[in-house]
Amino acid sequence: MTTTTQTAPLVRATGVTKKFGSGDKEMVALSGLNLEVREGEFLSLLGPSGCGKSTALNIMGGLLSATEGSITFGGKTLTEPSRQIGMMFQQAVMFPWRTTLDNVLLPVEIFGESKKKYRAKAEELLSMVGISEFAGSYPWQLSGGMQQRAALCRVLLHDPKLLLLDEPFGALDEFTRETMNQELLRLQAHTKSTAVLVTHNITEAVFMSDRVAVMSARPGRLIGILEIPFDRPRTPDLQTTSDFVALVAEARKMLELQ
Amino acid sequence: MTTLAPASTTTAKVKQQRPDRDTKGAGWIALITIAVFLLLWQFIPQTGLINRVLFPTFTDTLAGFVQLVSGGYWWEDLGKTMMAVAIAWPIGVAFGFSMGVILGTSPFIRQAITPYAIAVQALPKVVLAPLLIGWLGFGSESKIALAVIICFFPVWIDTMVGLALPAANEFKLMQSLKATRRQIFLKLQLPSAIPMIMVGVKHSLLLAFTGVLVAEILSASDGGLGKLAKEFASQLNMPLTYSVVGIVVILAVALVSIADVIERRVVFWSEESRARKR
Amino acid sequence: MTRTEQIAQLAIDASPRAKRKKFSPYILTALIAPLILAVWWFVTETRIVPPILLPTPASVVQSFPRVVFADGFGDQIIRTVTEIVGGFALGATIGFLLGMLLSSSSRLRAAYLPALSALEAIPTVILAPIIIAWVGFGMEGKVMQAALACFYAVFITTLSGLGLAEPNAVNLMRSLGASRWQTMAKLRVPTALPVIFGGLQLGATTAIIGAIVSEFIGSVGGLGYLMIRYRGSFDTAAYWVIIFFFLVIGLVTYLLIWYAEKKIVFWRHTAITRPDLEKP
Repeated sequence: MTTTTQTAPLVRATGVTKKFGSGDKEMVALSGLNLEVREGEFLSLLGPSGCGKSTALNIMGGLLSATEGSITFGGKTLTEPSRQIGMMFQQAVMFPWRTTLDNVLLPVEIFGESKKKYRAKAEELLSMVGISEFAGSYPWQLSGGMQQRAALCRVLLHDPKLLLLDEPFGALDEFTRETMNQELLRLQAHTKSTAVLVTHNITEAVFMSDRVAVMSARPGRLIGILEIPFDRPRTPDLQTTSDFVALVAEARKMLELQ
Repeated sequence: MTTLAPASTTTAKVKQQRPDRDTKGAGWIALITIAVFLLLWQFIPQTGLINRVLFPTFTDTLAGFVQLVSGGYWWEDLGKTMMAVAIAWPIGVAFGFSMGVILGTSPFIRQAITPYAIAVQALPKVVLAPLLIGWLGFGSESKIALAVIICFFPVWIDTMVGLALPAANEFKLMQSLKATRRQIFLKLQLPSAIPMIMVGVKHSLLLAFTGVLVAEILSASDGGLGKLAKEFASQLNMPLTYSVVGIVVILAVALVSIADVIERRVVFWSEESRARKR
Repeated sequence: MTRTEQIAQLAIDASPRAKRKKFSPYILTALIAPLILAVWWFVTETRIVPPILLPTPASVVQSFPRVVFADGFGDQIIRTVTEIVGGFALGATIGFLLGMLLSSSSRLRAAYLPALSALEAIPTVILAPIIIAWVGFGMEGKVMQAALACFYAVFITTLSGLGLAEPNAVNLMRSLGASRWQTMAKLRVPTALPVIFGGLQLGATTAIIGAIVSEFIGSVGGLGYLMIRYRGSFDTAAYWVIIFFFLVIGLVTYLLIWYAEKKIVFWRHTAITRPDLEKP
């Protein structure tokens, strides 16, 4: 799935450094990150906590500004959040005063577009992830996994070109998490969007991605990029093949050498 | 007067939850506001737009303050007010704490008396002020009685709530160790309750102060800052009235600061204390 | 947590022992009322408590029609309730708007919060003589006093509540390019509502107290005025009838705000997720 190498990258990070605080309290969260995200690929940022992977993601999403360096998105310098970019967070971030459907429709409401126009699409997305019967329910009437399914619908509603996923299923139990990862891959393939996933789980990163960017902590920087050549769609069986295990071992070695 | 307490915790929270990001120039804003306020206070009364007797200028008020402080006769009133607070507050705290322990240790009793706690909370206890003054006279007894009645309530409720705070697992731990009821109370419930109780104790100090002031304003014979303010106001001597109010404000802020220090010392382990120390 | 919530919390129990209880605690609740009445009857009949402070239950009941059907009693109640409602509405509105204003700028917060949080300590009753000197014995003064008494609770809970939105929720709004106003209306205010209701509950109680104290000090009408008159004629039984009305006013206020909160903040007392719905 690395056939898009020739086209211009969707996102290009050049020498991105992020410092927090100043003086004695200065902390370098991310140091000199150079990274390209190719159109249509699934890229993971893998590393221990404190390696700046979430910081990098937030800068790509325009939520944080880089102290040094710059980010381009679709060829243009990114300075603020874009409607072409959709973000998912560790928590589902469902507003408890809105029904599931209204939560999914939040983006178009913010954009000032007609909710009516998107209603059918939202319902279709909800049924694709299997929770259409909960459209009228409130988030607190749903399980954690269902809430994240709804959050997935919300991020896909306005067809963003780029999905930025900050450990979106990190708060779920192992079983739900695997199902959700499958779901995510299916929908990403369906919408042909580009995805960047932040994770500290090596197996997950290798299983999900076309490429894995391995990062180290203090200061956060990129160690290297691992190409994952497996075909799609991928099934859980893949994880028991020797090629897969070898790649996981290689990623682990990259992390441990630091 | 029954329910101002949580405000103090909320204030602390507000200060914590917003680390000051963009505060450049805040000092100037504060200074300019004060300056504008003082200028308006000084010049609007002089324009004759408002009654200068009721709204004396800043300098007139300041002169009143100097007159009051140098006059010296208000020391006695200050002493009377503070003495009443100093007596009523510990009584109210002790009473509230005992009620809390007696009624709060058992979940059964706690649940049973909840409707009554709501009723006691809903009744504005100052309604008793004229009765207490009528019964106990204009002396300090009526002030103290009113202050105790008003200030015991938060300590009572906070003690009960605090004793119920430990989670089921903590009770299970104690039970697995075959702890006696007394041990559970002394080693688990009471220590867990102390931060909460301290909030009530702090609140009750302010309520005791309020109670004493109300009694003084209403009875008007034994003296005290409340009576002083009322007398000056009834003579329309506004500079002196404002000065007494100013003294009450300073006292109240000082009392709260002292209570804050005590609270931090006692509950050194609570998150809030640690956050404030930093 | 406000005191009211704390009281409600009392009925919830952490101890694992509670589940073994055979009797509902509310049986005891029902038994306490007659017990209080009996104690009241006993201490007044035996004159342990002097009648000038507390009359017998019977005399209070007998005085009830006399007080309630006295000329203009309805007007006095309406007067006091109007003062309370007016003062509460005024104080809560100012508190809410000021909370919004300070929440919107960290600079304004740094400039004004220190002075404003000193307000918390001030016993507002000390201002009652001044207010009466300014505006006299009329209703305006009572409304001002009640507004002063309840302003701070609503202000500080609004300010605190508006800062409670989860960082990730704020990030979600920002990632969608939401404006300041959209974030305020769609995220911050709804998040703050439960806390603001705590402040309203608190403020309502203090507003009632402000109005009463002001009526006690100097008024030409209202329930507080009636109480001072009855006390002057040593009619303690009639006085207690009016205390009863204040209890009712306090309880009705509490229930109204509680009901409004239940309807408006309907998502409040619910678990965050339903783990039982998790698919394997």
